[in-house]
Amino acid sequence: MFHGHDEHRLGAMQTLPRPMRKFRDDEVVDYCVVGVGSAGGVLVQRLARAGFRVVGLEAGPFWDTEKDWVSDEKGSHELYWNDLRIIGGTDPLALGENNSGKGVGGGSVHWAAFTPRFHPSDFRVYSEDGVGADWPISYWDLKPYYELLEREIPVAGPAWFPWGDPHGHPYGPHPLGGVGDILVRGCTKLGIRTVAGGPVAILSASHGDRPHCIYRGFCIQGCKVGAKASTLITHVPDAITHGAEIRAHSMAARVSLRDDGRVDGVTYFDREGNEHFQRARAVIVSGYAIETPRLLLNSACPGHRHGLANSSGTLGKYLMAQAGNVVAGRFDELIRLYKAPPAHALSEEFYETDRRRDFARGFAIQTVGPLPVAFAKQMMAAMGAWGWGMRRVMMDYNHWATLGVLGEILPWEDNRVELAEEKDRFGLRVAKVTFNLHENDRKLIEFGKRKVMNVLWAAGATQVVQESRFAHLVGAARMGNDPATSVVDRFGRTHDIPNLFICDGSILPTQGSANPGLTIQALAARTADYLIQQGDAIFSSSRRDLSEPSIRYDFSPPYTKWKGNPRIA
Amino acid sequence: MKRSFPYRASGGEMRGLAQPGYYPDFSTLAQKKTWDEATRQVVTERVERPPAVRFFSQQEAALLQTIIDRVMPQDDRDEDHTIPVLPAIDERLFNKSINGYRYEDMPSDQEAYRLGLAAIAEMAQQRFGQSFVALSVHRQELLLKSLHDEKPDPEHTVWGRMPVKRFWAMLLGDCVAAYYSHPWAWDEVGFGGPAYPRGYMRLENGMPEPWESDETRYEWSAPADSVSDFTEDDRREWSKKW
Repeated sequence: MFHGHDEHRLGAMQTLPRPMRKFRDDEVVDYCVVGVGSAGGVLVQRLARAGFRVVGLEAGPFWDTEKDWVSDEKGSHELYWNDLRIIGGTDPLALGENNSGKGVGGGSVHWAAFTPRFHPSDFRVYSEDGVGADWPISYWDLKPYYELLEREIPVAGPAWFPWGDPHGHPYGPHPLGGVGDILVRGCTKLGIRTVAGGPVAILSASHGDRPHCIYRGFCIQGCKVGAKASTLITHVPDAITHGAEIRAHSMAARVSLRDDGRVDGVTYFDREGNEHFQRARAVIVSGYAIETPRLLLNSACPGHRHGLANSSGTLGKYLMAQAGNVVAGRFDELIRLYKAPPAHALSEEFYETDRRRDFARGFAIQTVGPLPVAFAKQMMAAMGAWGWGMRRVMMDYNHWATLGVLGEILPWEDNRVELAEEKDRFGLRVAKVTFNLHENDRKLIEFGKRKVMNVLWAAGATQVVQESRFAHLVGAARMGNDPATSVVDRFGRTHDIPNLFICDGSILPTQGSANPGLTIQALAARTADYLIQQGDAIFSSSRRDLSEPSIRYDFSPPYTKWKGNPRIA
Repeated sequence: MKRSFPYRASGGEMRGLAQPGYYPDFSTLAQKKTWDEATRQVVTERVERPPAVRFFSQQEAALLQTIIDRVMPQDDRDEDHTIPVLPAIDERLFNKSINGYRYEDMPSDQEAYRLGLAAIAEMAQQRFGQSFVALSVHRQELLLKSLHDEKPDPEHTVWGRMPVKRFWAMLLGDCVAAYYSHPWAWDEVGFGGPAYPRGYMRLENGMPEPWESDETRYEWSAPADSVSDFTEDDRREWSKKW
């Protein structure tokens, strides 16, 4: 296929729709969405389809996948949120490439794209286990949106996914790579059920103007192929076609509050550092678990001294990351772990609370596929490798298989995002992120780590080592029914301000041991349906209607219709 | 530059090698015509035009290069196939490029490097009465190993202000990032390298693509004066089942 040099490419075959509508700062738009990532991308798409005037402010660039992305670890540094944040606590969270994206598509640009659903029990952790929190919604409220997003993305995976609420997937599973083969082999020997070839947001067959996966292994460096879903290629093009504006290189500084207690727009800086103010009838903050609380804390003003929408004092608190221990096993035979998507086989056999264990909740076992630089860094910690030891273990790179523990860490008040004294180049105070493991977390990690080590022994490994690390970020602006203990209600509307919403991973009250991406997108689609059903009332009324919206199947991006979720039971 | 050569179990020092590792005929760069333009540019630039040193002073650069020679040793490689590590670290610090965070108990990366280098220089003088650069390879490694083991010998006030394990992790992390992002290192470890738009097709059983090669293993030992290789105790520990 021929493409002109001036075309903005989104994957190997798709191009950015043109022209894109442009709003002036002084034009009052209906919705200003801050952050065009996993949630923001879905929101702007739905709201534009419904006819609202929508601007998405994105701090990073509007990626051209052909020119800006490379099949190279070091060359992919700009995909991440690299700006300064201060980290502390007993177990500081490494940020940047580990868990935060910058640019249109946000974290969905560099996620490994595992897309398991949360289990029904995740929504009732406090009721069932007396720890953590309950969600203000149930799994069944979200289920239709899981199914819808699985078709929109669309998700490839097994026909039978046996855990949680069993379900199938619209696209067939991927072939196994060497690491998936080890996971299945080791688990099978131990009688642990596994699924293989998904669920992942990676195409196993072509879909509209997106080709299928070519198994090159650079998923988390940004998929140049366009096979791995990111909102950059799944929802943003449709948003632009329907009249949304995505304004890249726009760093939000403050959400502005009027005297009548309603917000009226967002102050932001362009890439040259010029300050602008985008007027809006409602604002949705979708900046993820660090930038969302940071923006609202930086928006403190008279009447909201401790940050906007923080009358509960919980803004920034109950931040969560999942345990992400990488367990590596050396095999006599060659594995070549760099081939195939890093994410392609898993087990959720240990997901739920088991009364025979001395901790609540559980973990998943998943494939990971570190490329050479990432693997070398893992071996620094896992084997204490340096000097000739580093050269030696790396010469054996192709003999190693790596599995991840994905462990549920509970929400704790002392795990939090605050403002540091340091400022960024715009003069905005940066985030300080504090993280401490608690007893339940430590027991769970120890158990999970040993279990995964046993899987590798069972698969025939001759050496097994592990590195402690964390994966994903959620929480810090949690949803709940009680305005005294949560920041937003069941639809993401802040308890304090009727036309200010939060919609991203930060609203999750607990996190399960499922990767959060699909859940974040499903929640965004549900919030969009709520906003669409409420219509103009959002812009003028303070009445809080908490009835569930009806799901809109007519607002999906192209190629979704006629796709189906297999009915398996 | 001081050198210290590993040797083959079958005898003979390993020196002057164009390509160490178990994949003698494998070259990722030989495939670059099949890569996309943006990737080809980034990787070619890395190989052909390492950046000039702009952040470190000449004296600091000489000391850091000597440290890098032990942390990421390349004594087995011939001069024309030595992978530039120092320029990559210098460029990162010069451009103030960070990885998205700073530990609350650490200074900026730039200050951390300056402090760490000064401490290592003074530790060498205190312990051995010589500059670090002038020390034997063995003594250089003994000093660095004390940082690696988080037991600086001799102690130095800098490690009271900056946790030694964080400095060591940053230094080592920067070294491996520079080394293993170079296509010659990909050849050494048998990594297939960039594969868009062609892709991989042999996913199972560790099989090579038609342009990859199979492994040709040999046993080798680290230089006799080195303390950075794994020990028998390490190997026993990693082979111990739970």
